[in-house]
Amino acid sequence: MKKIVPFGGISLATVVLFFVYSCLVRSGSTDLALQAQLVWGTNNDKPDDPKLKEVDAKVTERLRTALKWKNYFEVNRQNFIVRAGTPKKVKMSDHCEIEVENFGNSSIEVKLYGKGKMVVKKTQKIKPGELLIFAGDDKNDTAWFVVLSQSEK
Amino acid sequence: MINHETELKLQAYLDGELSPGEAKAVEDLTNRDADAWALFEELKLTKSLLAENELEVRLPESRGFYWSKIQRQIEREEKEQASEQTEAAASSWWLRFLAPAAALVALAVLVVVALRAPKGAETLVALDDSHEIETPLEETSSFSFQSEAAGMTVVWVDSHRE
Repeated sequence: MKKIVPFGGISLATVVLFFVYSCLVRSGSTDLALQAQLVWGTNNDKPDDPKLKEVDAKVTERLRTALKWKNYFEVNRQNFIVRAGTPKKVKMSDHCEIEVENFGNSSIEVKLYGKGKMVVKKTQKIKPGELLIFAGDDKNDTAWFVVLSQSEK
Repeated sequence: MINHETELKLQAYLDGELSPGEAKAVEDLTNRDADAWALFEELKLTKSLLAENELEVRLPESRGFYWSKIQRQIEREEKEQASEQTEAAASSWWLRFLAPAAALVALAVLVVVALRAPKGAETLVALDDSHEIETPLEETSSFSFQSEAAGMTVVWVDSHRE
């Protein structure tokens, strides 16, 4: 009997290979490249501290639209990759640490630690260009921020 | 009343298709059965009428030419049939090639769409867009707000410090 689809074996193998390739591509894409910035916000001018850098103008502008502080200075910056199923701990300062878990499809869980204790845990998607910010009050009407975003490729 | 089998026997007898034994039996039947005899006579008359009045068909051309025309007609039809089969085979080859190719292209499009969802089509792959927040420490509370304009989510942590 004549087969409707010839080269049945080849077609099947092609489809299987395509699926395997897709899965590999997909699994590769689940690695999430993130950037975490520890930022200090104040309404005063930049203090005389060489370690402090001004936050990128675009990010500053975005922060200003939603938050009350005028100036934002970067204390520390970490770029890291989070693989799916492997939580990554990143130290932002002596007292501040974050742990990020990648659930795939840009969905992450972030645990913020203060002095070794988990302060808050947040689960959400982080799309390219979007910011996930953890923030709190600091002395003299200033504030601290941990700004998470997807690293620019 | 004559049954159908007897009718057939009479017809066969008339056409000379019966064995001698069967023919004798039919003759005996027609001699003793008036109905059988009447039918036999009717069939015989019909046969003689058909044989005498059958139209003779005369060929308008020579016998050789007539048969050569039939031969050419047969050859032409055979060629056409072969040509149709070749065309069908060619088209089916393309069909057989295109069917899996089209399936692969559709599959590729589906995977590409799933892997690279455009911004506007996030819901296509974003099956779970949950936003959960948890603050385990008693002395700490938190709330989150989202700014669509700034494209950011802020989780504000309040440690209740004085």
